[in-house]
Amino acid sequence: MPVTNQPLQGGYQLLNYRIDRQISRGGFSIVYRAFDEAGQPVAIKEYLPSSLVLRTEGDIVRASSAENLTSFRYGMKCFFEEGRALAKINHPNVVRVLNFFRANETVYMVMRYERGRTLQQQIQMKQDQMSERFVRHVFMHLLNGLREVHTHKILHLDIKPANIYLRTDGAPVLLDFGAARQTLTSNRPKLAPMYTPGFAAPEQYREPDRLGPWTDVYGIGASMFACLAAFAPQAADARVQEDHLVSAKKIWAGQYSDNVLEVIDWCLRLDPLERPQSVFALQKAIRDIAPRKRKLTFMGNLKRVLFTEIGA
Amino acid sequence: MRFTIFQESRKGSRKVNQDRVAYTYGRDTLLLVVADGMGGHAGGEIAAQIAVRLFIERFQQEAKPVLKNPLKFLQDTLLRAHAALGSYANQFSMLETPRTTCVAVIVQAGHAYWAHVGDSRFYLFRQGGLIATTKDHSKVQYLVDQGVIGAHEVAEHPDRNKIFSCLGGLVDPVIDLSRRTPLRGGDILVLCTDGMWSVMPPSEIATYLTSTPILKTAPQMLREAEKRGGPDGDNLSLIAVRWGAETLAEESSSTITETMGLGEFQTELDKTVTLTDRKGTQRDLTDDEIERAIAEIQSTIQKFRR
Repeated sequence: MPVTNQPLQGGYQLLNYRIDRQISRGGFSIVYRAFDEAGQPVAIKEYLPSSLVLRTEGDIVRASSAENLTSFRYGMKCFFEEGRALAKINHPNVVRVLNFFRANETVYMVMRYERGRTLQQQIQMKQDQMSERFVRHVFMHLLNGLREVHTHKILHLDIKPANIYLRTDGAPVLLDFGAARQTLTSNRPKLAPMYTPGFAAPEQYREPDRLGPWTDVYGIGASMFACLAAFAPQAADARVQEDHLVSAKKIWAGQYSDNVLEVIDWCLRLDPLERPQSVFALQKAIRDIAPRKRKLTFMGNLKRVLFTEIGA
Repeated sequence: MRFTIFQESRKGSRKVNQDRVAYTYGRDTLLLVVADGMGGHAGGEIAAQIAVRLFIERFQQEAKPVLKNPLKFLQDTLLRAHAALGSYANQFSMLETPRTTCVAVIVQAGHAYWAHVGDSRFYLFRQGGLIATTKDHSKVQYLVDQGVIGAHEVAEHPDRNKIFSCLGGLVDPVIDLSRRTPLRGGDILVLCTDGMWSVMPPSEIATYLTSTPILKTAPQMLREAEKRGGPDGDNLSLIAVRWGAETLAEESSSTITETMGLGEFQTELDKTVTLTDRKGTQRDLTDDEIERAIAEIQSTIQKFRR
């Protein structure tokens, strides 16, 4: 029988916070809704990598083996990286960390509780297609947050609709910096970096030293694609083998402006160098409402002519 | 210079070791320093670390090849450490300045000089007897001086942790400076924190360290002290030095500085390293590092709070 970690029970008093209920559970953590002393709701993330530690009852977290204790402690570093990253950022479109503490032999991060739903839920709920206006609005604001993140030399590395929260006031909030780590390498297979197929850029699979703002840009492009398609684009590792991804410009021609569709295709280029190199460049492209025809340069033109003649 | 030196710091039963010990020496001069950080979370540990490192850095800058004025060096460095803690707290918008005690000893040209702030102690033993010591800047020491309680009651007194002078406090530290004290071969110099002296009287320390090789007996003594501390035992730290060329038959490794180049230093700082120093290397996090990482994140949260 597979053993799973038990979440803290509702009503459990965790320092100054009273646990209400589990909100979500991932491979590395459980997120709870809780209330602080003033009765304000907060979201508390508990470091609890399911492959390494056990909590079959009670509150104390124990490593499932001596070897796992080492990995558990090592993975804690990543949790600290996330805390460090977020602690510095105070931006309306990025989740805000309120507290960080140690208890029950593990560590906890307290975040502002946001009301609303994830973009993922929004996509699944919507019967008809999302309006261009909505997509533009969400991503323009989200990119403001992501720009702030990159300014602090942090990459998110797991941008996807499930990590984009839409507050009830309509503002998007970038969540879950659990992947915002560059230290994890493949020689710790148990804590290998996680990527979400479809949203992770090709360099995340095989070339960790080529990660950059363009890697998050790929996730943005894939998330925009998912808003229109209601499904994720083909996974990047598969695309590298055999690219079946049909360009957004082809699929939705006439339904959305060329500009938006071109931006999506641009973000989803397999070669990192061919994507927008910064969030600012991407924002600029989205902001340019008039569909831009790409002007062919003399050299580009020459290339095209040559290729045509060679028959390539 | 020739001497035998031992230093160690133990956590006792505490989660975090807020004590720091270090020594450094050049050809003609030796510095010993012990600090006991105070307060919750990592603040105390940071304070002790800052004080000790500042001592080592300044010593290596000023000892060229010897200190011009050892007592002035001790006083200046303590004052600078006090100021450094204040600016550290400012820089990280800490609610409270990290605080620490500190005791430091210089041995140069056959003489010892020492200074202290708070209740970390220096003992100088000669032929098994205590010939000099520091007087704690503590409430209980004041009570002893006033004749309210006896010296033997200090270790058990409920207020024994209350000190009126420290580095990083609201008021400038009270600093006690020693006289220039000539050393003789075989003298034992001991620096220790309250976790050590509160569980073992000087006479017993003298017994442990006199006429036996200190590299053998000092660790035994520390283990015994830690045991006595019990489940509530404080951090305990010790630097012990047997001074002089005259060595005991079994003394295996004494330090001889004559062969060192001018301007060359040997330093022994305790091995605990902050998380950020070891970025990228894979190894376990220690409890200390976890506490420090959390303190760092918390202070960042405070700093970026609107």
